Amino acid sequence: MAVLTAPHRKSPVPAPSRGGRGRGPGRTPPLVLAFVLVPLLVEAVWVFWPALQGFYLALTSWDGVSAPKFVGLGNFREMAGDDTFRGAMGHTVLWLVLFGGLSALLGLATALLLQQERRGIGFYRAALFLPVVFSLVATALVWQAIYQPDGVLNQLLESLGLGSLRHAWLADQDTALYAVIVPALWRQIGYVMVLYLAGLKGIDPALYEAAKVDGASAWQRFRHVTLPQLRSVNAVVLSVIVIDSLRSFDVVWSLTRGGPYHSSELLSTYMYSTAFQSLRLGYGSALAVVIFLLAFGVIASYLVRAFREAD
Amino acid sequence: MINPRPSRRRFLAGLGATGTAALLSGCVTSTSSSKSSSDGAVTLQSNLSAPQAKAAMEDVVAAYGKKGGVSLNTVAAETFRTQLPTYLTSANPPDVYTWYPGSVAEAYAKKDLLLGLDDLWGTSDLKRYSKALNSLCTSSSGKKVFVPATYYWWGMFYRKSNFAKWGVSEPKTWDDFLDLCDKLKSKGVAPIGLGAGGNTPWVASAWFDYLDIRINGAKYHRGLLAGQHRFDDPEVRKVFDRWQEVLPYFDPNGTAGAFQDATTVLLNGRSGMMLIGTFFADAAPKDALDDIDFFRFPVIDPKVPLAEEAPTDGYFASARTGRKDGVLDLLGYLATAEAQELYIKGSSGTVLPCHPDAKDAGTPLVKKGRKHIEEAAELTQYFNRDSSDALQPTADTALTKFLAKPKEIGSILTDWQREAEKIWNA
Repeated sequence: MAVLTAPHRKSPVPAPSRGGRGRGPGRTPPLVLAFVLVPLLVEAVWVFWPALQGFYLALTSWDGVSAPKFVGLGNFREMAGDDTFRGAMGHTVLWLVLFGGLSALLGLATALLLQQERRGIGFYRAALFLPVVFSLVATALVWQAIYQPDGVLNQLLESLGLGSLRHAWLADQDTALYAVIVPALWRQIGYVMVLYLAGLKGIDPALYEAAKVDGASAWQRFRHVTLPQLRSVNAVVLSVIVIDSLRSFDVVWSLTRGGPYHSSELLSTYMYSTAFQSLRLGYGSALAVVIFLLAFGVIASYLVRAFREAD
Repeated sequence: MINPRPSRRRFLAGLGATGTAALLSGCVTSTSSSKSSSDGAVTLQSNLSAPQAKAAMEDVVAAYGKKGGVSLNTVAAETFRTQLPTYLTSANPPDVYTWYPGSVAEAYAKKDLLLGLDDLWGTSDLKRYSKALNSLCTSSSGKKVFVPATYYWWGMFYRKSNFAKWGVSEPKTWDDFLDLCDKLKSKGVAPIGLGAGGNTPWVASAWFDYLDIRINGAKYHRGLLAGQHRFDDPEVRKVFDRWQEVLPYFDPNGTAGAFQDATTVLLNGRSGMMLIGTFFADAAPKDALDDIDFFRFPVIDPKVPLAEEAPTDGYFASARTGRKDGVLDLLGYLATAEAQELYIKGSSGTVLPCHPDAKDAGTPLVKKGRKHIEEAAELTQYFNRDSSDALQPTADTALTKFLAKPKEIGSILTDWQREAEKIWNA
């Protein structure tokens, strides 16, 4: 709606922009316009249009075969009383806190550790970044083998004399969610580390020198130089983490499918299973809308605050 | 850079407006009803993506190819399942599909998406197919919509050499069965393997199906899955009471791995037996196949007519095909003994042909399986095939929860009924 009302606010602007094409000094060349409009059109057809459809479907009851039936806000009303949805919501928040929080902390920690140029440092950076290169589905297959009742993890526990801790990690409702977070974290840390490494590279060394001359301790340098300088990177990391948390799907689906009995269900897996397994595409779309609003809400509120601080 | 801005905004505004207009017009998900083009080869969309089954389908298509053109398109089973509604409702659908008869086909037949095959059933070998298959392939409106090709059976599979080593034999009654479990447990073997973890939680439904058809009978079972009874009824409760008797004998890791893993455990002698369909043999090494045998799921109430699970596989065609003659010719061929024998020869050979004259693989296991099915008074298909793929996840959740927390069965069944109602009312 903001887009629709925008021209009215702009209306006092004098006429030249509406005037004849190609006249006036500041005119955009057609080629540039094409470069902007063609991708926009492609985006509109392949992204905005399906997204709008999703919003419409959220208001319907649709089995994917017959024509969708309009039910208004019925799907959202059902959601309010849906225990599985509430559980999935709780798990998603837990996921956001554990997966997001730990990957940001550990990513920053490894970046600080590996920022100095020393011999062989490239090897460690590469090693930490390597999991990002693998497909998460392939990663999940490996971790599935690790978590098997006769898998590496249980054998390791046995050999350490901790046989009593042996566990069917993915089949137990108390451990399934955490067992799924670990592989996701294993991959995400490397990614966040690279983002922070890039941010650390951009900090002017003169700032550290000045701080040192003023007698600042290592912690003070970190707290008052590094962290404030990383603010813009933090915005990126936060967005990446929130989006990645809410769209985390592949690793959960390949390891547990949200089970056993919804104990590792996230909003994303619940959306997929209602839409494509239960064939309730209307309700699935309504879940997708909720996920969108959550992601958009968190990121937008952060960005608004960040910009306000910057002004 | 001030000049271009208003025009871009206007463009965006226009975009938003057209988007909204089109959205409101409601054409978003309307389905087209035009017929597809009539030239080119008949397309056969297959979900048989396991290597042996895929090769066998290629043999069948190649053999038919001498007579007319057909292009085989093998799709991964999970993709096929989720995409099937899209295929059938698209304007230019594939012509013929591998799928299941019964209530699964009925759901599409009710929406007029399947090609009527009455003529074909009246003129080809299909005339001589058994009465049970005949009614299985007839929709509720009385129209034939399906061509059955092969079927297989479920049973309690075990390794002959292991049973001999442990000095135990096949049980006939429920009490014999409990004795057998006791004996195996005392030898340090997990008596019953399951494999309801990983990506195959649906395997647990076999236990629900069998206990229900043994206790309440096949008729009640079908009615239950169709929504005519409730999952929190006392009849269903009886099923779980019986299940609790054998629960201590289940492999504690039964929900930790897929049925392929459970097969390995069974073949290695760490579990005693497993209620599974013959497809599990695909995951078994060839040399172990001769050592595999099975027995009938023990009878619990002799008054209940003997029913067995015998899922049937076959083909149906899209109602929107533009190549009707080619489609009927292909389906006619797939119904012949020749085509079914060819498929059995190429695949793992543990399925039985639907054609009355077609020869099966001839191994002792298959002969026993054929007799096993012929002795049954009633046949069921399997949980998802007697209901729908959409109902299956509700069973998976309920049954894995029961296996972990059998004491909470009351609330599990209430939840199951509530979830199932959402599917039935969708």
